[in-house]
Amino acid sequence: MKRESWIVTLVMLLGVPLLAQGKPLTVTGIRGVTFGAVLPGVPRVVLRTDPANSGQFDIKGPKGGPMLLSFVLPLSMSGPGGALLPIVFGSSDAGFSPTQSIGSQVGFDPKQPTTVTFPNNGSASVFVGATANPAANQRAGAYTATIILTVTVLP
Amino acid sequence: MRSITKLSLAVAAVVLTGTALQAQTNNASITATASVQTPINVLGAQQLSFGNVFPGVNKTVNATDLTNGGRFDVSGQASTPVTLSFTLPATLSSAGNTMPIVSYTGVHAALATQVGGVAFSPAAGATPSLSGLGALFVWVGAQVQPATNQAAGVYTGSIVMTVVY
Repeated sequence: MKRESWIVTLVMLLGVPLLAQGKPLTVTGIRGVTFGAVLPGVPRVVLRTDPANSGQFDIKGPKGGPMLLSFVLPLSMSGPGGALLPIVFGSSDAGFSPTQSIGSQVGFDPKQPTTVTFPNNGSASVFVGATANPAANQRAGAYTATIILTVTVLP
Repeated sequence: MRSITKLSLAVAAVVLTGTALQAQTNNASITATASVQTPINVLGAQQLSFGNVFPGVNKTVNATDLTNGGRFDVSGQASTPVTLSFTLPATLSSAGNTMPIVSYTGVHAALATQVGGVAFSPAAGATPSLSGLGALFVWVGAQVQPATNQAAGVYTGSIVMTVVY
């Protein structure tokens, strides 16, 4: 029994370095979605393939395997005096790139949790586009909102 | 042997637990930003006025007539193109009587003095730009064609201009 305890302890100790072999998961917001100058009454679209204005997250983590991507998306951007500017995300306004290339994405609906296969090099990117819909009498000024991406490594 | 089996189960449990622990979650945020420009404001600044009109005598007010031409004042985002469109009446009305109004003309300019103005057809609309100060002035002229038996009275109609970015 004593010998068995030693073996179990040894396995547990070995288990720690085995777990540590998996690269820690990190998600980094690289670039925000930038609508720039928006005219009242004129919708402004930012495509997820727009290299200057689309949003970008970089993900680093364990090599290969499935990952779950889910967003917390705003319904509007907040502006001066509490004014709100509606923001809409289309069914293909998010894109997953296992090569971290904006020119090589697979589109998906950011409103739905989506499972992707993480690449073997342990790095990938997610790009985001959206549409701002200002009213004809939209109050002038700067508007902002926060987009959150949560990534879960699936077992 | 039984001890070895128990040991194997224990090891398997540890490994499975370890696998479950491998599930990781992390998140990050980015910001969406927009800079909304000045909304458009349109003011009907001056009526299109034909004054006294006599039966059977057509009367024209040119868009270049600063006194009698109709004028709209537009303000908005500086140096930004806009689209002008009009709803133009075909007749003026007075107590059930009508009088044709035709041949609309237009001028748009950055200055209220009409200096540097550009002629256009209100029926077709126009796409000028607001000035560096965010201003635009638009004049409208037309011709009324009273019949020889045109009933006397004050005739009116509404000219609507719509401006969008």
